[in-house]
Amino acid sequence: MKVEISRRKFLQGSVALSVLGGSLASVPTLWAKEKPSSNNNIVATLCEMCVNKCAAFAYVENGIVKKLNPNPLFPKSKNMLCARGDAGIHALYDPDRLKYPMIRIGEKGSGEFKRATWDEAYEAILHGTDKFQGLKQILDEEENNRSTIGFCAGEGMGEHTYKQFMGDLLGSKNFINHSSICLQTTIAGYTLTLGAYGTTDLENANYVIMAGANRAEAILTPDTMDMFKRTRGRGLKLIVLDPRYTNTAIHADKWLGIKVGTDLAFVLALTYVVIKEVLYNKDFVEKNVDHFETYKKHILENNYTPEWAEKITGVDAHEITKIARDFMANAPRSVYYQGRRTAWSKQDFQLRRAQAIFTALGGGIDVKGGIVFGKKLYLHSHTVEAPRYTTNKRRIDRKEASIVGKNGTWIGFRNMIVEDRTPYPVRAFFSYKQNPMQSVPNVAKTKTMLEKMDLVVTIDTMPSDTVMMSDVILPECTYFEREDPVKSFGGTQPAIVLRNKVIDPMYETKAVFDILKGLSEKISRPMFDIAVKYDEHIQEEIEDSSEEDVYEDDGYNFNLAYESTQEEINEEIITSTYGEEAYETLKEKGVFYPNMDKYFKKITENEYQYYPEDKKYYTTPGGEKIDVQDTCIDEKAIAALKKNLGTRSGRVECYLSSMIRKKVDPMPVWRDELYSEAPKGMFKFITGRDAKHTQNSTTNNIMLLDVMKENYLWINKAQADEKGISYGDWVSVKSSIGEVQIKAYPTIKIIPDVVFYVHGFGSESTGLTFGYRNGASDNLIIEDTVETVFGSAAMHETVVDVRKV
Amino acid sequence: MNYAMSLDYQSCIDCKACEVACKEENGVQLGADKQRIWVTQIEKSIFGQPFVALHPSQCNHCLDAPCVDVCPTGSSYFAEGGIVMTDKDLCILCKGCMEACPYDARFVDDTHVAVDKCSFCYETRLVHGEVTTACQATCPTKVRLLGDIDDEESDLVKMLKERKFYVLKEEEKTVPKLFYLLPEHDDYYAMNSVDPSTTIYTWDTFKPIVEKAKAKRKPQWKKIIL
Repeated sequence: MKVEISRRKFLQGSVALSVLGGSLASVPTLWAKEKPSSNNNIVATLCEMCVNKCAAFAYVENGIVKKLNPNPLFPKSKNMLCARGDAGIHALYDPDRLKYPMIRIGEKGSGEFKRATWDEAYEAILHGTDKFQGLKQILDEEENNRSTIGFCAGEGMGEHTYKQFMGDLLGSKNFINHSSICLQTTIAGYTLTLGAYGTTDLENANYVIMAGANRAEAILTPDTMDMFKRTRGRGLKLIVLDPRYTNTAIHADKWLGIKVGTDLAFVLALTYVVIKEVLYNKDFVEKNVDHFETYKKHILENNYTPEWAEKITGVDAHEITKIARDFMANAPRSVYYQGRRTAWSKQDFQLRRAQAIFTALGGGIDVKGGIVFGKKLYLHSHTVEAPRYTTNKRRIDRKEASIVGKNGTWIGFRNMIVEDRTPYPVRAFFSYKQNPMQSVPNVAKTKTMLEKMDLVVTIDTMPSDTVMMSDVILPECTYFEREDPVKSFGGTQPAIVLRNKVIDPMYETKAVFDILKGLSEKISRPMFDIAVKYDEHIQEEIEDSSEEDVYEDDGYNFNLAYESTQEEINEEIITSTYGEEAYETLKEKGVFYPNMDKYFKKITENEYQYYPEDKKYYTTPGGEKIDVQDTCIDEKAIAALKKNLGTRSGRVECYLSSMIRKKVDPMPVWRDELYSEAPKGMFKFITGRDAKHTQNSTTNNIMLLDVMKENYLWINKAQADEKGISYGDWVSVKSSIGEVQIKAYPTIKIIPDVVFYVHGFGSESTGLTFGYRNGASDNLIIEDTVETVFGSAAMHETVVDVRKV
Repeated sequence: MNYAMSLDYQSCIDCKACEVACKEENGVQLGADKQRIWVTQIEKSIFGQPFVALHPSQCNHCLDAPCVDVCPTGSSYFAEGGIVMTDKDLCILCKGCMEACPYDARFVDDTHVAVDKCSFCYETRLVHGEVTTACQATCPTKVRLLGDIDDEESDLVKMLKERKFYVLKEEEKTVPKLFYLLPEHDDYYAMNSVDPSTTIYTWDTFKPIVEKAKAKRKPQWKKIIL
């Protein structure tokens, strides 16, 4: 309706979300910076709301980002944006965003900070304050052992830049990232067995077993969206195993409510059937599988029958047999989907190995419709000269699991500090884009670790629970406000992508590149001075030349790594391999691959061709070749060609002799002692994701809270009825280490004796207006059990008690 | 030109990308009671097994819309292209249209102090010649397809000639233009996601219904002034 002038003015000034048709709303000036970099513009960017980096166009009007639309050019992101990608604008304009550096003035964790300039913040990191110590004092006392500074990072396009600074320049060996609370074990299981983790070719696979991997809801990944256009009889038969009837299970031809932590028994039984009935691809096995006879003997002698598995998994033995037969009948276009998540049980390493071997028995490795490795377009990397230190001790957690890699084990690392059993003190901790206070099991222990630190520095965009435990907070700008390192994504349709800057950084935030540049200016020389004091190698070098020369020439001057801007570095990397035109394309369209102008075609509004079918990279070079244009050739015969996989033998490894001396089983084996059911009356607690939120990083995003406000406890309806629990009732969920209260969602979509709620809610940060105490935190109650091969968090080993409050 | 939309709803995964994209594109308020588009989840138990049907939906841009007839001010009107539009300045919030709509597609937009609903993204896309909607463009599995059913060569008409479909609440006789494509290879999902009394159409059997309603209402189609 037509309203009086005064009322219209009121409406215009309030919620700036509303765009009045196609015209502009006036935006409150407190959100806009003085001079926007672009007035009206369409900028090619890459989403950072999760790990997928979907290509998007950002529409800017009068310096305000108004809308994000999918960029159809990127083969990997398949011309879509999920709810989180669409809601990215609210990460940019979140009023709770970190806006300027802050220094702690109250007790740690109290949330009392004072605003600081960048220089003051860097000063505080170097010299400390009356509340906390600085790097100078810590390193002097620790005799320049740089590993006294632990550092962690979450996944992101700036992770590499940060790692280079902390690990290569500063020299600490104590790096942990999300791998050990994410898919480290899965990747390792596949890499050690097949040579690489690979991608499941869901565009062409005909039979897929998805156990636990909830592709419709968990980090909604464009790579797997092809699957949902081929379910329901349209070409892809989907078998879902999950204690919950998820949105992925909705699409399944068969859903089996498998008991928590028993997947390995299921896979071993499938393998038993296939071996007993000789259903595997014999040619493939002969040419490409190592130690098959050993594995065959092992499977048969252990009697991993479907009947045996039924007792453990709760899945009917006839179903197991049928699935094994159907899988092989559809092979090589059959895949046991790898999975993308953290470990669930203590036996997960063997589980992933067993999955990989099982898939290989069908021959679906390195062929269309199977697990494919594809190709990656070359880009040379930006290296910095790493200075040499002899005072830096080895990482503390290297013995906390059988195999501890460069990304460490979060739980192992943290627990050593909490339990005071580190070989030397770890006194400082830097966190970039990670929120361990919500993402690592056993929140209480993470809090203790951070409390023990003499210095905690966090780099983030939002005041997360971890940020609230800081001594110094350095505000990073969001992905809209920076250009990030150019990246090459491999696969069957490889491409190179570039995140362009959409608007200039708001408030006083900076990209991590510039944050580290500023930090280098402050601490580079003081760090070297301490090194000179204690490092005999440096002292010797100085004897032969001079302090100045050693500082400048041998990599101790961190500033040299930041002489060029990120934009200049990208331009050099791109043009040196692909030329000027490729660079222009990336600046304008965000995506490039050779022959893109010829190959890329719009078929309909909803369908695009990225690479013609015969140009996709389904098989890797180095193996036997055949002319695959001949349609008379049996696919099973093509699959059986000799491969050249990335394993030591070049073949699928059933038996890993190198594991024996690490006290790890060389072949997948079921161990009863590593599995237990929940006691009667109690529940196994499982966690997972939702398509509308990204882990714990979006629970302050008003648009995403609009479609999913909070998490609920999934509990089997019959069991809820027994306990007198109805929908919306408050219940207490208690484990041996913590307790939460949450609303209940009784449903038939979860099997008995298991309860679930989505990860990421229940923040305790008072800095998050909408996130604070909204819903419940899973890691508050999840025990810090690990699978012992890599030290990854085994997140489904916790038993809980549930009662109405 | 006569705009309509098909929904291959069997591909839906209820990720809510469409709901968020719509709100972002059209400045829709926050709140579950403020939705131009939505995805309905229907949960059933079939012999003890859970079953879920997902139905994305929005305003049907009915050719014979009751919301237009009932509007006292002409705020709700038939527009060129077969779109049912709302002129916000003329709305007096009598909410007669909200009562009249069988699909519950309308809601009160507090910022305009008027009733609002899906406009097939006319203001942001169709007016510039772009025949898509925000919900279609963002969808991970491309459930929706907007098109011109007057154009026999359009992708939409080609789709409707290939697939059987149904409409919602046809007994209301509003001649809606959201075409739900029947899952052709999954009888189980088809049977359990569609009411047994629903008529299944082909383009041959539905086109006459469209033509008849268009003949009746086209004289009322007005030019859109934004």
